[in-house]
Amino acid sequence: MTTARPTALPASLSPASHPDPDSLEPAFLERADLAALVVALRDDGRAVIGPTVRDGAVILDEITSVDELPVGVRETQAPGHYRLGDGRPDRIFDFTVGPMSPKGWTFPARVPIGTARRTPDGATFSAATPDARPLAFLGVRACELAALDVQDRVLLRGPVADHDYDARRRSALIVSVECTTAATTCFCTSMGTGPEVRDGADLVLTETTAGFVVRTGSERGRDLLARLPVRPATDLERDEAAGGVAEARAAVSANAGVATTGLPGRLGAALDHPRWAEVAERCLTCGNCTLVCPTCFCTSVEQVSDLEGTETTTNRAWASCFSAEFAAVAGGTFRSRPQDRYRQWLTHKFSTWVDQFGTSGCVGCGRCVTWCPVGIDVREELAAIAPPPRQALPVLPIAPSPVPDDAWLRAARVLDSRRETDDVVTMTVAWNDAPRPRPGQFVMIGLPGYPAAPISVSRVHDAAIELTIRAAGPATTALTRLGPGEEVGRRGPLGRGWPVERMVGRDIVIVAGGIGLAPLRPLIDSIAADRLQFGAVRIFLGARTPRDRLFTAELAAWTEAGLLVDETVDRAGADWLGRVGVVTHLFDHSERIPEGTIAAVCGPERMMEATADVLRSRGLTDDRILVTLERHMDCGVGLCGHCQLGRFFVCRDGPVFSLAELGDAFGREGR
Amino acid sequence: MPATDRAQDRAMSRPRLGVVKFASCDGCQLTLLDLEDELLPITDRVEIVEFAEATSARSSGPYDLLLVEGSISTPEQAHEIVELRRQTAKLVTIGACATAGGIQALRNVADHDAWRAAIYPEPAWIESLATATPIADHVTVDAELRGCPIAPGQLKEFLVASLVGRRPQLPDEAVCMECKRAGRVCVVVASGEACLGPVTRTGCGALCPAYARGCYACFGPRESANVAGLRQGFVAASLLTEAEVDERFAGFTAMAPAFAPSASAAALSYREGAVVRPSTDKAARPEVDDARR
Repeated sequence: MTTARPTALPASLSPASHPDPDSLEPAFLERADLAALVVALRDDGRAVIGPTVRDGAVILDEITSVDELPVGVRETQAPGHYRLGDGRPDRIFDFTVGPMSPKGWTFPARVPIGTARRTPDGATFSAATPDARPLAFLGVRACELAALDVQDRVLLRGPVADHDYDARRRSALIVSVECTTAATTCFCTSMGTGPEVRDGADLVLTETTAGFVVRTGSERGRDLLARLPVRPATDLERDEAAGGVAEARAAVSANAGVATTGLPGRLGAALDHPRWAEVAERCLTCGNCTLVCPTCFCTSVEQVSDLEGTETTTNRAWASCFSAEFAAVAGGTFRSRPQDRYRQWLTHKFSTWVDQFGTSGCVGCGRCVTWCPVGIDVREELAAIAPPPRQALPVLPIAPSPVPDDAWLRAARVLDSRRETDDVVTMTVAWNDAPRPRPGQFVMIGLPGYPAAPISVSRVHDAAIELTIRAAGPATTALTRLGPGEEVGRRGPLGRGWPVERMVGRDIVIVAGGIGLAPLRPLIDSIAADRLQFGAVRIFLGARTPRDRLFTAELAAWTEAGLLVDETVDRAGADWLGRVGVVTHLFDHSERIPEGTIAAVCGPERMMEATADVLRSRGLTDDRILVTLERHMDCGVGLCGHCQLGRFFVCRDGPVFSLAELGDAFGREGR
Repeated sequence: MPATDRAQDRAMSRPRLGVVKFASCDGCQLTLLDLEDELLPITDRVEIVEFAEATSARSSGPYDLLLVEGSISTPEQAHEIVELRRQTAKLVTIGACATAGGIQALRNVADHDAWRAAIYPEPAWIESLATATPIADHVTVDAELRGCPIAPGQLKEFLVASLVGRRPQLPDEAVCMECKRAGRVCVVVASGEACLGPVTRTGCGALCPAYARGCYACFGPRESANVAGLRQGFVAASLLTEAEVDERFAGFTAMAPAFAPSASAAALSYREGAVVRPSTDKAARPEVDDARR
């Protein structure tokens, strides 16, 4: 689903050049001649997506003729309320925005991303080809252009670009329409996105009594204009058009809005506000707000298998942070309470989105307000939760992460599989033609028929890697059952690993709980291989029972390499002579931790919180306490949204973080 | 083990599938027959040993997979489900009756004896329980397929996933999610229809809103179903009164825990209003009863 960052943006994204003084612009298109525009777009082989009336709303659909556009229609919008009514007679674009947006075509609700097949000697994985039919959007409003730009930032301009979105977006020609009317739910003027169209459109129409004042925003637009039956607009027509947009601006400005100055910081400081619990009593967590939002980009993957289980197509489908499953991992969900989900959505949209993408995630279109079935109004909630400006917090830079070279899964052969405990297996997988994983990085591993799972690399060889996998669900259970010679799909390495170079010359404490030892093992290997480069190294290991201990055959070698290994188990039988108790108890038996020590911690989140508390009490500062986090991950490259945590995507910006980076996102319920 | 060997293994030992029913209308079982084109390939993969709707062949178990339709409504059924569970590796309940009690569970808050006396000429001959309860109230259930009736797509996904060995994808999210993915206009917001989609589990493909109707929750509650919030929202928007909202829940999944308080309130007010309060007075019964005797 991904490709390397595009080198050039679509033409429609380039800033509009100055109009040629000799050109027609601004031009005038009689209303009766609008048909020529639809015909010209269709003649170019484009599917024209425009407004039409259906099911009591102005929706978007493919239109084949100008006759399908609404005439004399205007709507009434209020929180949880939308009704069609009469507009000015003959006007085509006398409404504002309906429930749909161009997102439905540039980022469809469900698209195939790849197919996996079982073959007699293994498995094959093939990426899907994006639907190549070129699009033209007719009637795109200023807020919707802003939303396309927001999605461009997320899906095209990050470290990894979405292949499917890229193809659809590049093909799309945009005929924009400036609003000359406003709904009560509009707040584009607050968000700085409208109603005037600035850039991002190929052609811009402004409707007047007799037709449309037309200007162009790109070379593609100028070519199109040259094929239309237009004449230069008169001053009167230009004034009428400008006056219509000014009326819309006045109407939107009179609506309730959002105090955007300093909002990200104010929201970030209000994570414990009592209003979150109060709004959760009204919120149905149905997800409507996220699916009508033109910028929400989160998706989940679905497997569609044939009856034989030999071929499975993986689809990507719109998902929502309002579902419990969205933040679920084996064993539970990080956001069990509705208040966690509402807070996640609102803080991402208006606060951490700015940290991640340099823009607000909201464009002020008001869809989430209108299409909430119980009429929850973000403007009211923001005013209550994050009331007017204080000083904005500084924006911290996002950590860079290597770009994976592959678009989807590729087949890799299993070389070996050995059992560590009752439910944990270490599998060796051939690793050719792919970057060598750094300690702490992970890979996505999938089998045909199953969703791919993020798996930590537990050892790196020259042409193979080891993966230590706990059978936590059917997909990971199937992985633990594979034998030598079978094939898996792999992608990666992904994410940011342990900062080994920062640890050189320092004392190190490594604390592992259970399977948390797996991503720490390559770090231990690196240290042992270059032992003299590091100071004193202590390894504290915790396991539930003696039977759950991992890599037991290697502990002696670690000790021989000059690493101090200390172990404990939560519960033990009579045959265990070692320590019993939680892993933090090992610090009680340990001497002082020298100043400058760096700690690397991995295990269940509660164990890492307890360990962090002990380390802080021993004088370690948050920038020297490193943890690796587990979150629900579907894509592994920061595009599907599931693992978003504050200003980070755990897969792309982590999974290794310092506590200083995480701030109060660490150890807070419901993040 | 290479994949080919695995495939042969599977072919040699087809899982034994049974389909049984208790108090229900048989509609969910018929969904299996509705798979039509896919039914024959399915029978290549599983051995259907018990399926009254499709074959007169009978089996006494054991079952690798048993699809159970209907709720437990009589003492005999309560005994039988325990026996079936004993013979079954993976027991899957199908439909609103088996998963939530069904429409007949409305009797759980009614006067059972009074209704029985009003309907049957010889109530003493009728051996029924005072309640109709979901299968999970009686035995451990391994998976459930919701709906009245169940969705063919979910049944197929469940069977395929069981054969592949992965977790079936039966999302626990609101009907709204699939409704919006399908590009439908919200009937609550645009038409003032009282749709229960926001509190109902997805799986039907948002069928009712596709026909401009509100969802009536036949798939039962989703996780975090905020019934109180929905009621408050509908009342505030003057779509329904509180009592009318409660009535909407007194349907096919009335006694699902998240809906039961609302549905019970509706059922009780119905009784108290004496709209059709059943009479125990034999003289008040219709002629036809006497004729049948």
